[in-house]
Amino acid sequence: MTWKAETDEIARRRKLALNQGGTEAIAKQHSQNRLTIRERIEKLIDPGSLEEVGPAAGTPHYDDNGVLTGLDPANFVLGFAKVEGRRIIVGGEDFTLRGGSPSAAGLRKSVYAEELAVQYRLPLVRLHEGSGGSVGGTGGAGPSLPGPVNAPARFRSVAQAMATVPVASAALGAVAGLPAGRLVSSHFSVMSKSTAQILTAGPAVVERAMGEKKSKDELGGWKVHTKNGTVDNGAEDEAACIAEIRRFLSYMPDNIYQLAPVLPCDDPVDRCDEHLLEVVPRNRRQAFDMRSIITSVVDRDSFFEMGRGYGRSQITGLARLNGQTVGVWANDGRFLAGSMTADGAHKARRFMELCETFSFPIVSLVDEPGFMIGSQAERDATIRHGASAVLTAALTTVPWVSVMIRRSFGVAQAAHYGPDGYVIAWPSAESGPLPVEGGVAVAFRREIAAAPDPDARRRELEEQLAAKQSPFPRAEALGVHDLIDPRQTRPELCRWLDRVQPLLPSLLGPTTFSIRP
Amino acid sequence: MTKVELETGGSVWKMLVKPGDQVAQGDTLFILEVMKMEVPYPAPISGEVAATYIAEGDAVEEDQLALEIAP
Repeated sequence: MTWKAETDEIARRRKLALNQGGTEAIAKQHSQNRLTIRERIEKLIDPGSLEEVGPAAGTPHYDDNGVLTGLDPANFVLGFAKVEGRRIIVGGEDFTLRGGSPSAAGLRKSVYAEELAVQYRLPLVRLHEGSGGSVGGTGGAGPSLPGPVNAPARFRSVAQAMATVPVASAALGAVAGLPAGRLVSSHFSVMSKSTAQILTAGPAVVERAMGEKKSKDELGGWKVHTKNGTVDNGAEDEAACIAEIRRFLSYMPDNIYQLAPVLPCDDPVDRCDEHLLEVVPRNRRQAFDMRSIITSVVDRDSFFEMGRGYGRSQITGLARLNGQTVGVWANDGRFLAGSMTADGAHKARRFMELCETFSFPIVSLVDEPGFMIGSQAERDATIRHGASAVLTAALTTVPWVSVMIRRSFGVAQAAHYGPDGYVIAWPSAESGPLPVEGGVAVAFRREIAAAPDPDARRRELEEQLAAKQSPFPRAEALGVHDLIDPRQTRPELCRWLDRVQPLLPSLLGPTTFSIRP
Repeated sequence: MTKVELETGGSVWKMLVKPGDQVAQGDTLFILEVMKMEVPYPAPISGEVAATYIAEGDAVEEDQLALEIAP
């Protein structure tokens, strides 16, 4: 007597579970140019590396004799897997079953994803396409019990995961309700421009509640959500989203108790680009391309920008210096003069929190004219969000290097310098309480008005004061660590990073504040 | 046809091309003024300016179509 009958049954159930929502549902998914969750996972991970958790979970169907006739697998696939040889936790809703709305077993597996990631201290990747609960409950037909009072708080593990391990998520189809809440509870999120929408509630619920008739794309397509910061990035299709997640993971440690892996670097640390000598125009009104400076000073092709469509006066991303991950933050003078807007401040704050959580040194390239001004900026509560960024910077413990590229003004500039940071300035640097163009008109209002040629007097005063904002007096007063030839920026940054190495191990572990959405 | 759309609102400070002009990739097409800063727009491709939809002095908005270039 062996257990052959049972092992055959195990094999049969595993096979049934792989059927997902059935041939028809899978064909429908494909006809809409979307992959199934199993195909998505295969695209993300190293071939054959999936070790599933709970493959037998699901809803069984029996005939009158108690013989299993079918199994609706849990509509969330969860498991351990590897990306570039490094272990992760991966999971995602199966849209071919109940449209991704959680089944009883699916819900158990989905909420287990964060718990596993925290327990094993592994990066978590969620590939989302699904909706939230149904008024019919998770079990479909039949009564469903509400959760007990002593059930663990559902979102505690979501918050813990964000404070412990890298969390990356993608919206690959329509994502609403609970999956949408978890999608944005991540360190990096990306949505597919061709197949995804993110919805707090879908068109039917919105029409019923608000009388507003909108398509899924109008409500929550990429044009909406890459501009409002709901997700960090948009990518053309599912494959591009998955490629972005793989790239993001390459910069990250497995958890907060480790430093990020250092990759071999064939880009010389003493590389000096001639372009940097002329990139900042002498005419102070002319904007310049900050991204060309970033890509020039970090390791070749290593800049990974996050949140380009949102808070666009600030540029944030990950990059490498001599193979080591650093956070890069810079101003984009081409957008609202690079000023600190409310959404830019929120983006910057989240970015600093990301760096603090994972002990990434911060490279800050400063061209900050100050907080955004005007009636819209006042309505946006710019000063409050801005002060939040400033105070976040003041509380960070990671090493900072700030390069004064051009402007550094007002309260807002304080956000770009960390405590005990290393500060170097380019000859084009100018700094003070506020840019002369605005300040002169206010401080010398009477004198300008009384002059025979007010415009000429204003320009004269601006020129005089601009000369005082030059970096040379600042360097003489040890107001900066050094004044440098812009072409020397990469070697300077690499030397700085080498000097701060002894500080990094002591930063590992839980931080006094982590990152929240 | 390659469309050049505006990344930000502002006003059109200088138009440097007109329909029929040949441009090389990287040539400045026009300059916006945004928050007292001049923001040049380089040609994304080489070709002929097929149409312009903005003029000097125009107040313009983000995502607005500025001009089209035929390769």
